[in-house]
Amino acid sequence: MASVQFKGIVKKFKDNLVLNGVDVDIKDHEFVVIVGPSGCGKTTLLRMLAGLEDITGGDILIDGLRVNELHPSKRQIAMVFQDYALYPHMTVEENMSFALRLRKTDKAEIGARVDEAANILQLQKFLKRMPKQLSGGQRQRVAIGRAIVRKPKVFLFDEPLSNLDAKLREEMRVEIAKLYQRLNATIIYVTHDQVEAMTLAGRIVIMNHGIIQQVGSPIEVYRKPANLFVAGFIGSPTMNFMHGKLALDGEHLRFSSGDIKLTIPPYLLHDPKKHDGREVTVGVRPDDVLVGRTADGCSDKVDGVLEVCELLGHRENLYIKVGETRLLATVEAFFDRSPGSAVQVCFNYKNMHVFDKVTEKRISE
Amino acid sequence: MDILRSIYEVTGFIVLIALGVAALEGYFYYHFKFHDRSWFFPAALLAFPALALAVSAAVTGGFQPRLWSWFLMAELLVLAGFKYAVKGRHTVPYLLLAPAFVGLALLLVYPFVFEVYLSFHDLKLTTIMMWKNTGKIPFAGLDQYVKVFTTSPLSEVSFWALLGRTLLWTFSNVFFHVAGGFALALLLNNAIRFKGFYRTLLVIPWAMPQVVAVLAMRGEFHSQNGFVNIILSKLTAAFPFLASMGIGPVQWLSDYPLLTCTIINVWLGIPFMMVVILGGLQSISSSYYDAADIDGASYFQKLRFITLPLIKPVLMPAVTLGTVWTFNNINVIYLVTGQAGGTEQADILVSALYKAAFTYNRYSYSAAFAIVVFALLFFISVTYLHGFDAAKEER
Amino acid sequence: MSEKDAIERRRTVKYLLIHAVIILAAAICVYPLLRIFSVSLRPGDKLFSTDLSLIPDGATFKAYASLLKDTMFLRWLWNSLLITLATSFIGVSLASTAAYAFSRFRFPGKKAGLILLLSSQMIPAGMLILPLFLMIMKLKLMNTYLGMIIAYSVSSLPFSIWILKGYYDTIPRSLEEAALVDGTSQVGAFWRIILPLSTPALSIAFLFNFTTAWNEYLVARVVLFSSKQYTWTLGLFELQGQYITQWGMFAAGSMLVTIPVLAVFLYSSKWLISGLTLGSVKG
Repeated sequence: MASVQFKGIVKKFKDNLVLNGVDVDIKDHEFVVIVGPSGCGKTTLLRMLAGLEDITGGDILIDGLRVNELHPSKRQIAMVFQDYALYPHMTVEENMSFALRLRKTDKAEIGARVDEAANILQLQKFLKRMPKQLSGGQRQRVAIGRAIVRKPKVFLFDEPLSNLDAKLREEMRVEIAKLYQRLNATIIYVTHDQVEAMTLAGRIVIMNHGIIQQVGSPIEVYRKPANLFVAGFIGSPTMNFMHGKLALDGEHLRFSSGDIKLTIPPYLLHDPKKHDGREVTVGVRPDDVLVGRTADGCSDKVDGVLEVCELLGHRENLYIKVGETRLLATVEAFFDRSPGSAVQVCFNYKNMHVFDKVTEKRISE
Repeated sequence: MDILRSIYEVTGFIVLIALGVAALEGYFYYHFKFHDRSWFFPAALLAFPALALAVSAAVTGGFQPRLWSWFLMAELLVLAGFKYAVKGRHTVPYLLLAPAFVGLALLLVYPFVFEVYLSFHDLKLTTIMMWKNTGKIPFAGLDQYVKVFTTSPLSEVSFWALLGRTLLWTFSNVFFHVAGGFALALLLNNAIRFKGFYRTLLVIPWAMPQVVAVLAMRGEFHSQNGFVNIILSKLTAAFPFLASMGIGPVQWLSDYPLLTCTIINVWLGIPFMMVVILGGLQSISSSYYDAADIDGASYFQKLRFITLPLIKPVLMPAVTLGTVWTFNNINVIYLVTGQAGGTEQADILVSALYKAAFTYNRYSYSAAFAIVVFALLFFISVTYLHGFDAAKEER
Repeated sequence: MSEKDAIERRRTVKYLLIHAVIILAAAICVYPLLRIFSVSLRPGDKLFSTDLSLIPDGATFKAYASLLKDTMFLRWLWNSLLITLATSFIGVSLASTAAYAFSRFRFPGKKAGLILLLSSQMIPAGMLILPLFLMIMKLKLMNTYLGMIIAYSVSSLPFSIWILKGYYDTIPRSLEEAALVDGTSQVGAFWRIILPLSTPALSIAFLFNFTTAWNEYLVARVVLFSSKQYTWTLGLFELQGQYITQWGMFAAGSMLVTIPVLAVFLYSSKWLISGLTLGSVKG
């Protein structure tokens, strides 16, 4: 297995800058998920690693070896494509053994490896079938099997679950997690789905506009998003944002955004004087918007009006309007108030995030 | 024995072509690989023409200085192309394209250029032996072009009459093809029994080898044995009033040759249009018709406001192709009116062109004639395509 | 109830009408073929009768026998077959690679190449016969297979390239990328993945090349002059030609060449049509 390094990767299509100086170090045995909205350059990055896309600038190293000009098959990688890319004119077995046959591996070895992969993925029954005769989930497994058979240094997954329906996607997600434990390989996984990223990754790389926004473990990026983009992208439902201004009121910093007036405790923002008069965005996840109750370390109460309730089962989404700001709160089910009634809202300080309005960077602890 | 020899001859030729392709690929491959080395320019300029010359000397059995200079010039051009234009990039696509485009250059572009050359010279039955032996033809300047407009390509009919007849022929044929094809496609697009069977029968004129179809139809228009006249005479015998209206057996091939050709070609061309239009009709989602039904559209309103606009993207290319094909259709007219001694009354531009070259042996004249016809067709197509593009942008 | 009956009746009438019109049209389409068949069965003394029945009195296969025995019909068929197979093979091979270049790569001159292909369709067919005829004469290939193959080989090339390009465009690129990762070269991916997948389109292109060359008449007319080298189109025309005496043999020969062509055409018509629409609509 192997490490992968991206050093100052730049990619241009004609005059269009797709990747602008990407640096990532991926360690041996790591499961790294690259996540971002479509068009952020994540797939391009993966394809450059695979050797399917020219590199405009920078270096890619696998195991310390520069591979920029190496043919894809010589990089010791295997790739699972979004549309699986199973060869329609070959059986499952032929699909899986194609790479080995190209390398003239001896027959017994090919058979053994195909059997092993088929065992892992429970494909024994389908080896003689054509891809057309398989269901979506089975095809997905064949595509993964094709990668396993080659015993590569690095596995690349390009949005592998996006063509499956919701239920299958969950199943395959678990499969892939199990597979990772079993293979103990280096995996680089590209997706636009932050749930996949959170559940699978050892480390998440969040990208937007061809630039890395944050690299960290799932907990880190969830608890301490580095900027507004990451805060809005990770977590579901999306974080609430309030745009406003900080002002020094005696000892304490006060945040005001229309009708919402909050005291910002010093453990959230050190050195209050420095922030006097700063334009900021305050973010609170829906789970940390408390309605009609209080907790330790909670903010001042704010008056709002309940607009819509959505019952999800054990939880309930409340859409609350406070002045001109709309907030989403997620509470325990059966919140017994009808739309239109007045409610009191407060925020959990421990999970409150403050971002600079101009730089969009996180300024709170 | 003959059969074995013919197989041998043809396989040998294919092997020769394969070798030629391999040589071509190798030739370009080395240009891609070494185009930027300082030694390559002089080396290639010497080596490749010399090699080509050696091969050509082996084939034709003699040194040919003109051929040598051609090779030298070609090599210079290729080298310059690699040095300044291609620069060793895009190796794979150019290598993939090379055989096809060399083929096209030799058998499409070169003949075209040769045709232009011929049109400014005077090659006819009396000068062709001279050309064959020495490769020289008397220069004629614009004489051939003047003759195209002043003398008859055949024995009596003039260029302008041919032009008018061609336009009439093209227009009437395409009109009946589209109208007939559309009507049959609409009928077939209903949910009826035996649909597949009917469709199979209806495409038979298209599926039959054209030579057989045309010659068979020509037989049906024969004045005594042809089916058409037999039916006509039976009709007039049964209903005498028809005869008084002037309907009766006629000498189709000698008295109405153009009409005969048109009927035959309409018969031949309807199935193609029908198939294309039927394909288009079947691709229209039935939900449009359901929506129109709810809106209360009548059958003809649906035809006018749904079917026609939606079928247009399929119909336009087919009509364009059909127009060019009909304009260029020598087969039907030549096969129906025969060769020497046949009537001239049915000839259109392209068939006159063919007859001028190969029945009357007026080679250069027919070359000039061909250039004029090509210019005409080109002009029409470009105008037409412009209109098509404009219409496309409007939508 | 009565209203329902009226609707029902109207529908029945409509159906009968549709069937009647289609059957009439189908009869017009098929009749000449049936007539050839009937003529081919006529005994020699009744060739010029005005009889319209399909199976004539005293039907006989004599015309077929004398066609095969007294003329070089089989030889003509063989000539046609050889020439046609060779040209189709050359044409499809050249087109398959060229179409791949147009479908998958960007390179300078791509647009110009495509325009050249399209505009070549505008050249009147009769226009290039003369220079080709002179070239073949100069190469001393008159009256030979090779002359015919040379004259035919590129005539369907632009159309074949167009059809194949349209088909390649529908094959997802990720298949070739997977093959690259698996260890083939670019050309290897074409050979091992794209070509096997394109069998339907290759068949269409082959069929198109084949039918064009198989049915060709005008070039054969000027290149071939000894009846031993004739293709069947020339031979058939000769039989009907000026001497109407050979009418029975002409009909027999027509049947013999039409039936296999018809069978192949009807068998492959679905492909052929999808290929045509692919080529024209996608453009």
